[in-house]
Amino acid sequence: MTTVNDDATSSDWDGRYYHVDQVLNTPGPRTEDSFQAGDAVKDFLRNQCKILVIGAGGLGCEILANLALTGFKDIHVIDMDTIDISNLNRQFLFRPKDVGNPKALVAAEFIMQRVPGVKVTPYFGKIQDKDEDYYLQFNIIVCGLDSVEARRWINATLVNMVDEENPESLKPLIDGGTEGFKGQARVILPTISSCYECSLDMLNKPTAFPICTIANTPRLPEHCIEWASVLEWPRVHGEKKLDTDDPEHIGWLYNTALTRAKEFKIEGVTWSLTQGVVKNIIPAIASTNAIIAASCCNEAFKIATSSAAFLNNYFMLIGTEGVYSYTFEHEKRKECPVCGGESLDITISKEWTVERLIEMLVEKQDIQIKKPSLSSGIKQIYFQAPPQLEQATRPNLEKKVSELVEDGGEVTVTSSTLPFNLSLRIKYT
Amino acid sequence: MSIDKSTKYDRQLRLWESTGQQKLEDSSICLINATATGSELLKNLVLPGIGQFTIVSDLPVTPDSLSGNFFLDDEDIGKPLAMAMTEKLVELNTDVQGNAINDNLNNILKNESPEFWNQFSAVVVCDFISSDDLDKLQDITWNKKIPLFVLNTVAFYGSLKLIMPETTVVETHDPSRLFDLRIDNPWEELKHYADSIHLNDLDDTDHAHIPYIVIFLKALTAWKQDHNNLPPRTYPEKKSFRFDYVEALSRDIKSETNFIEASQSVHRALQSTRVPQPILNLFENSKIKDGNLNYHTPMFWIYVKALKNFVIKNDVLPLPGNIPDMASDTTNYIKIQSIYREKALKDMNEFTAEVFRILESVGRSEEGINKALIATFCKNTALLHVAEGSKDLCNNSLINKVLEEYRLLMISMDLQACL
Ligand SMILES: [Zn+2]
Repeated sequence: MTTVNDDATSSDWDGRYYHVDQVLNTPGPRTEDSFQAGDAVKDFLRNQCKILVIGAGGLGCEILANLALTGFKDIHVIDMDTIDISNLNRQFLFRPKDVGNPKALVAAEFIMQRVPGVKVTPYFGKIQDKDEDYYLQFNIIVCGLDSVEARRWINATLVNMVDEENPESLKPLIDGGTEGFKGQARVILPTISSCYECSLDMLNKPTAFPICTIANTPRLPEHCIEWASVLEWPRVHGEKKLDTDDPEHIGWLYNTALTRAKEFKIEGVTWSLTQGVVKNIIPAIASTNAIIAASCCNEAFKIATSSAAFLNNYFMLIGTEGVYSYTFEHEKRKECPVCGGESLDITISKEWTVERLIEMLVEKQDIQIKKPSLSSGIKQIYFQAPPQLEQATRPNLEKKVSELVEDGGEVTVTSSTLPFNLSLRIKYT
Repeated sequence: MSIDKSTKYDRQLRLWESTGQQKLEDSSICLINATATGSELLKNLVLPGIGQFTIVSDLPVTPDSLSGNFFLDDEDIGKPLAMAMTEKLVELNTDVQGNAINDNLNNILKNESPEFWNQFSAVVVCDFISSDDLDKLQDITWNKKIPLFVLNTVAFYGSLKLIMPETTVVETHDPSRLFDLRIDNPWEELKHYADSIHLNDLDDTDHAHIPYIVIFLKALTAWKQDHNNLPPRTYPEKKSFRFDYVEALSRDIKSETNFIEASQSVHRALQSTRVPQPILNLFENSKIKDGNLNYHTPMFWIYVKALKNFVIKNDVLPLPGNIPDMASDTTNYIKIQSIYREKALKDMNEFTAEVFRILESVGRSEEGINKALIATFCKNTALLHVAEGSKDLCNNSLINKVLEEYRLLMISMDLQACL
């Protein structure tokens, strides 16, 4: 047996990569011409390749373990969360004693201890804290996120980063996502293949209850819970912000919702439902995460080594009845605000106010911009920030769009949370 | 540190609920051969809290067994593989019991009686074993109705085969969210309730808060009166029903949200109440033929027999009783909800009586019959799922089909070469 120490090369005992080497030692029937079997590919994978994992949650834990075992040795991981008890049913790098500690740090520590010779560099914070120079240092980026907003941000950042003069600036992005027994894995080659923003309309629309139902005619336990969190909490607690991770706050919502439900003879308000509604909890299980993470890591491995053709470009898993999967090429959207370039045509009524247009931009399935700011040429229509500009443009909210923009005119939409501009061509009915 | 299970398992309970969790916790799985794939499989069952697992392997940990296996480390080299992997896996979840058997399948088949396998609710074979051993194991698990999984991975390829006679699912958690509303076939109380509401007498506010179930019942009655008592069937008929019968009842289709919703949900009014074909197929299963039903018939099939009798008598399935949310004032919604629930309860009582009658006829007592399970069954009768398995390791018909296609391809290529 070989002794093990911190030195990366001397921890490579005989047989350590026995299985992976079966794939790397000789070309197979499906390997590409560029595949350099043997030492060259192993040297790149184990000594040169730098890979970033975004998210150290359900998918992230799996991704980190898989990458370490397949021979990636310089791994970085970003996550802004700390460990919660409800993570332990799937995030297998964490133990009860770790609850409350940063995921990125604990995960990195665990991987380095279990798989000697692998260096995992954690960052406990937001992806938005890092700039282009940071992202430029990696060869591949793998995302295991549960947030649409974060995915849109990293996607747009990587697309913007592409510099035609510098091929190294194009970073393959591998994105995984799961919900219960379902999941997907995809490979995005920024500017070349369909990007995350291109497929925004494939997301499920979140359920939203109309305020008048919540306020006046509740029928479901969910309506009572929404009433407690959206209307009663601010009324009773004023400025105090609702913290959905605080059991006392959830408890207050639960009791308030329960009282209202009794008053209207509605059944079914439970603690678990209360938590599910206010935190918008998505079911998550270890096995689906394992399948999706493995798919992502296989693609990362294939891209890094050219040992086999990689995914083009969308893999969908549906495990709700048997094991069903579907792989297809998702196409680029010409009017994608991130990678498309063409402006999006929208037709609205001449009577629409700017406020109504903004409402539509927030709701429309293929746009979904939370706080859009609007301008037309050099004319400012409405700006969400800074406060002075917001105040100055606020009167425009009530004006008709048709007073400010001519038929066929262009409107540029920006958002502080997303690094891109969407251009709309407005037509009137 | 003690941890509340409902908190720890929250994210999965939202998927399979406490009944699914209980079944998982009552399960015990056996892994033959301690490979990396096997350790991944066990990890995914240990984390959500399977009751027990057992690893069978007589090999020691060698440097290359660490390759690709996260649940071994360099300090394990030389130790028995089954034991080392068990130790690492139980660390993941203190609720789970792990067992290691330092022996091989061949010996177990030789030395243990078939009863040895009774302790497992599933058996998994990873990696290749001799076909002789596999045949023997398969015979045992098939007869005992224990699911047997055979899996292999080679580089980027993998295969999984499940060998079991039958699996029955009651709670299918159907994602399509169809609702059995019986608009085309209302029972007395529902009809009576709809008739008691006179749309013309209502003020504008109340009119805009009548739940669409009532709107549909009125619209469909009117349609049938105009069309020889037949429902809308063709596309133009359905379109006409939507505009001329549903939307036409509205005072202002641009502002009455209940009518807007009715128009958007018109498929619910057009859904015809009938017993789905897959369920009718279950009624033909030989297990519930008179004479085949006996003391040992699984409860699932007793329920299916009771369901068949229920359908013979009523022509419809027991009503599940749940309704979707719809624009309505609270009072009308709660009222209509209770009409559906009461009917569902009535159907369930009739169904339960049928179950008891059948149990008595095969000489079984009513004790141990779980009312909650019966209720669950009644809610899911339209979506029951039965998968029948095959004992063949390979699907011969599929292989023959592929070979035949290949033969035809060769012939056509030969023909082309001649031209
Ligand atoms: Zn795009």
